[in-house]
Amino acid sequence: MIKAPFEMEKISDEEYILNMGPQHPSTHGVLRIVLKLDGEVVTGLYPDVGYIHSSVEKMCENKKFEMITPYTDRLDYLSAVNYNWAYVAAVEKLMGIQLPERAEYMRVMLAELNRIMSHLLWYSAFGMDVGALTPIFYAFREREEVIDMVEGMTGGRLTHHAFRIGGFKNDLQKDFLSRLEKFLAKFEDRICEYEALLINNVILTARTKGVGVLDKDTAINYGVTGPVLRGSGCAIDLRKNAPYSVYSKFDFRVCTGKNGDTWDRLKLRMDEMRESAKILKQAAAMLPAGEFCAKVPRVIKPAPGEVYTKVESARGEFGVYMVSDGTEKPYRIKFRSPSFSNLSVLKEITIGSKIADVVAIMGSLDLVIPEIDR
Amino acid sequence: MIKYLFDLVKGIVSLFEGLGVTLKHCFRRPITLQYPEKRPDISLRFRGRLVMPVDPATGDNRCTACMLCVRACPNHSIDVEKLIGEDGKPKPKVSKYIYNLGSCMFCNLCVESCAFAAIIMSDEYETAVQNKASLIMDLAAEKYKLSGKKAPWWQSKFKQEEGA
Amino acid sequence: MALLKELLYNSGKPLSEFSSWMHAIWAGWGMPGFLLDFIFQLVIVLAVTAVLVLNALWIIYYDRKISALMQIRKGPNRVGPFGLLQTLADTVKLLIKEDVNPKKIDILSFWIAPLIIFIPTFAVFLVLPFGNGLVPADLNIGILYIIAITGLSVIGILAAGWGSNNKYSLIGGMRSAAQIVSYEIPMVLVILAVVLMSGTMKMSGIVAAQSNRVWFVVPQFLGFIIFLIAGNAEVNRAPFDLPEAESELVAGFNTEYSAMKFAFFYLAEYTNLFLTSAVAATLFLGGWQGPFLPPIVWFFIKTYFVITILCWIRWTFPRIRVDQLMEFSWKYLLPLALLNLVVTAVILKF
Repeated sequence: MIKAPFEMEKISDEEYILNMGPQHPSTHGVLRIVLKLDGEVVTGLYPDVGYIHSSVEKMCENKKFEMITPYTDRLDYLSAVNYNWAYVAAVEKLMGIQLPERAEYMRVMLAELNRIMSHLLWYSAFGMDVGALTPIFYAFREREEVIDMVEGMTGGRLTHHAFRIGGFKNDLQKDFLSRLEKFLAKFEDRICEYEALLINNVILTARTKGVGVLDKDTAINYGVTGPVLRGSGCAIDLRKNAPYSVYSKFDFRVCTGKNGDTWDRLKLRMDEMRESAKILKQAAAMLPAGEFCAKVPRVIKPAPGEVYTKVESARGEFGVYMVSDGTEKPYRIKFRSPSFSNLSVLKEITIGSKIADVVAIMGSLDLVIPEIDR
Repeated sequence: MIKYLFDLVKGIVSLFEGLGVTLKHCFRRPITLQYPEKRPDISLRFRGRLVMPVDPATGDNRCTACMLCVRACPNHSIDVEKLIGEDGKPKPKVSKYIYNLGSCMFCNLCVESCAFAAIIMSDEYETAVQNKASLIMDLAAEKYKLSGKKAPWWQSKFKQEEGA
Repeated sequence: MALLKELLYNSGKPLSEFSSWMHAIWAGWGMPGFLLDFIFQLVIVLAVTAVLVLNALWIIYYDRKISALMQIRKGPNRVGPFGLLQTLADTVKLLIKEDVNPKKIDILSFWIAPLIIFIPTFAVFLVLPFGNGLVPADLNIGILYIIAITGLSVIGILAAGWGSNNKYSLIGGMRSAAQIVSYEIPMVLVILAVVLMSGTMKMSGIVAAQSNRVWFVVPQFLGFIIFLIAGNAEVNRAPFDLPEAESELVAGFNTEYSAMKFAFFYLAEYTNLFLTSAVAATLFLGGWQGPFLPPIVWFFIKTYFVITILCWIRWTFPRIRVDQLMEFSWKYLLPLALLNLVVTAVILKF
């Protein structure tokens, strides 16, 4: 039994310790949160991570470069393709491989579809956390369509293993674009429905406005990225600030929030889904014909060196720091996961609120535990 | 005061909007798929369990025991034994193809590395077994007959993708 | 044939005739009268309990099917035709489960809590008019009896929360006690307004006051809404189901309960739902009155109408936080209920 740090031990007579343990319906995964409570008010919080640590970074040191891609899928199974992307971009940078245009556009399309998938699941899980049990069924109806599209292309539903070093193994399947068009035609209305059902509901706004306020400086100091940072008013989106691949060719805006409270983070994720739909429409229109894979040598042996690549995943900035020593296995790979930094800010923004708020705030941070523990 | 009333009215309106969304969905067709009577429509490239089908043209599998898939698998789920003929010399045929369903990641790297298109990930996803020992299977001895959407695709050594 | 019609449409008369006829025979046999009364009451209580338990089983199925309809899926449809035997299967499963008693529970509280929650819920139905003359016990203070007995269930929840030796249950129990106590007051004020309009606290009298005039739901529309909200909170149903908030407190005050004791909680929740809807139907929607069909059928139609509305609300809205719940009750519902009462009194006076 791992004990909490000593500040949790200083308990006055009126406080008690509550363990939202690893098995809990709304810590999304195996995360243990130790709360120090005074009645219903939270006075101390300690997140205990490590229950699903699988030493994936060490495992990657014993596998060849092309074998590591399936493992990056499993770090965040909800938007797996973005995590593939950071890793293969790192290898391609070390090897100096340039991708054909079509491959870049295909990568963007799959990444944005994954972002929509991840946000739809976040919406369902958040609804269940706060007690609304119907949004999950509506959001999953859309999610099934998206997953079917990606499954037709790659063969896997959650762990796609879509990207390869140099591009793709197969081209888009024949009905991908027509299905995408049909999906995008009704998606905007559906997002409005979801907002009317849950996000604009007065019960939810009363519960989330002014709760869990994260101000800009704290967010930057803790290294928070992604929608959590943008909710505090800081418009940093890697797709705009450090554009990778062909993102600079698309017209979309960076969604930000004004107050940094929970409701802003909810609203801006719905807006991000709309922006992703916009990018998908443009990408489908601009998709060039051509090769879907670059010429990659048989044996992948990058030049010795180190590289750090980052992508904007659904949760924030995901980075891969790779050190290669010229052999066919990497020397060291480090994954910079967004949920880890986002979790570190949980204590700051939760002290002073109630138990019900802890759940709502954790839901708005959109954590995926396997990528915290790796 | 005006703001208070305005907020109140806005709040009540939002509640009714939510009720309206739920009411609208009462009249939509349910999306339930009555499993197991009806199975979902599996796409062509779906990665189910690994199989080594029998080639209808030759009556035997296409494997030459070249060990490319063994080297490509990230977690050593495949083990191959070459066939030793009567004269003691190894033949380009497989005698035992041990596949560990329990540790397979379904990543498709083995299928992609096979130069002879001998193996394919089928569309079987109901692979639960009663005892753990049956997770380690000999695919060559199974003599799997591939049917359905994947058969013509595999037949043409993954060159002809029909409809997808 | 005429007897059947009278039995269905005006059940008070044939039943009292039957009762006096039996009394005459009984006295002829030389037995004391109160024994026959006792036997009659026993039969009535058993009949009412049987109806209620069957009703609870049906409501659980109905709730699941309504939720499935709204969530674009099919509800239970495997066990029995259209899934009708699903609740029966669930009850059998609950009965054969192992009754887990954690180690350091407070045995008296733990064991008695389900009973305290269960019994008042059933005891209240003795004053509800199921049909014309079909009131098991037509008390003069009918509605006051209902309010008083439903307040007893909070003791059960507190006992469950305390006796489980579990912090989650304790929090759930405390929340629920606060919630039930604060929502009783707007409910009582609204009921008072209805009593003012009908002039009597007798349940059959309230129903009679709604004949030949528009039902109380029209002049007392605000009261109807407040009653639905407060009734929802009284029975711990969403959006007020914090005491059993699944995502925060695992299962609130019934975390540690299993098997039959959990079945008691479960049945009590749905019977409570039926109670709130039945009282709302009686007070506001005219009870058992309606053309053509027998009164008891109308009673059930109106009750199920209110149940459908409550289910609709449950499956749409998220949960309200506990301090906002108290704020809502004391700052919004209470003044509105008082306003309702004052306006009713003023209008009735003039």
